[in-house]
Amino acid sequence: MPEERDELIGHIVDELKALPVVPADATARVLARVDAARRAGPSTRSDDDDVIFFPAATDEMQAQSPLARPMPAAAGTRRRFVISVPAAIGYALAATLAGFLIRGALPKQEATVALLGDSVVRAGATVRPVADAAANREAQEAPVAVQFVLDAARASSVALVGDFNSWDGAATPLARDSASGSWSAVVKVAPGRHVYAFLVDGKTWTLDPRAPKAKDSDYGTEQSVIIVGLK
Amino acid sequence: MRMPRYAVTAFALAVLSISARRAESQAPQQPALNPATDAAIRPIVDRARAANLPVELLIAKAREGEVRRAPVERIESAVRQLAERIATAHDALTPNPTDREVEAAADALKAGVPRETLRAMRAAGKEASLAVPIGVLTQLVLRGVPVERASVQVVNLLQRGALSGHFIALDDRVRADVLAGKRPDESLDLRLKGIFPNLPQQATADAAGLQTTAGNKKPR
Repeated sequence: MPEERDELIGHIVDELKALPVVPADATARVLARVDAARRAGPSTRSDDDDVIFFPAATDEMQAQSPLARPMPAAAGTRRRFVISVPAAIGYALAATLAGFLIRGALPKQEATVALLGDSVVRAGATVRPVADAAANREAQEAPVAVQFVLDAARASSVALVGDFNSWDGAATPLARDSASGSWSAVVKVAPGRHVYAFLVDGKTWTLDPRAPKAKDSDYGTEQSVIIVGLK
Repeated sequence: MRMPRYAVTAFALAVLSISARRAESQAPQQPALNPATDAAIRPIVDRARAANLPVELLIAKAREGEVRRAPVERIESAVRQLAERIATAHDALTPNPTDREVEAAADALKAGVPRETLRAMRAAGKEASLAVPIGVLTQLVLRGVPVERASVQVVNLLQRGALSGHFIALDDRVRADVLAGKRPDESLDLRLKGIFPNLPQQATADAAGLQTTAGNKKPR
């Protein structure tokens, strides 16, 4: 055991020597304290054992650090670098908040198909890990703005329902253009094939005359079809 | 223990920031389903959720039925069938398909596209999203192009590096041809001749062996 302790102490001293800001007498002070502890016997316990201190803290460091709160130092004792529990909690929360604020200030990444180079999506490209491939696919599925138009001059309201808005009749109302009598809405839709219809006056299922139609075997009615993607 | 004022302030700001971000990230609230519909589909949705499948598609299918004023029994049947197709589609597009890909593949299965085609598309497309290619394949089949021929050609396009724009152009041209009275399969062959020269890769063997399997499987 004494050998192990000596080895540990030697290791600590080496570490202290390696530090660039260690005061010149720090090593000697540590060794002197170890000797004093040995002389006092194994049962003796120093009050310092419960305190986190940095013997390498210099006056310059303490002056620079806003975290430093030196304890009143008695004559002949070393100055300690102590942070109270409330202060530690406060600084941790402040750091968390700063992280949130910095993250919120960064521009949101809005991926588009155009951002993906040919080498990424074309067959024969280097095979990437599965997680990267999935992320690439997600990026290619960034929504595209699509305009839907219905000519219904006599309608009092027109809404768009489709698989892209979960068939929610209240989600996408169309706005009437007073000059033309047409109703239109611009909706962000993910690339792919979508089915939809217009709900005129809240109840009349109306297909888009400008789009192809498809029979729906689930519910037996027709629906309009659109394939969305960057051309 | 007295909490310093700045710690309390920092804590309050942190809580506010987290709350704001959480509210921002929440999806818009969807209207609730009719209680009878909800009760009918709940076991199906729970099973799908347990299998880690996208349940939003099932709820949207139920809402579609309500908008179309379909009876609850029909809605339940439609949701159950969709759940089966989603599971098959998810398996065929492994690994890590996106929800859009699974949704598109479920529609393709409904149109009669075999799962082997979906597997071949995943292998051919590598990192490309298959949402558009699968959607175009579905539309070609619904327009009357034989599913085997459409499958092979779509996989061929993916192997040659076709992008979503190529697929959409193909769909547009075939649609116009069919409206003008041309046969869908003839139109597909004709229009591919205009697209292949613009693709970066040369033709590959047999579309990942699809010709030998696609025709032998019974469409779902």
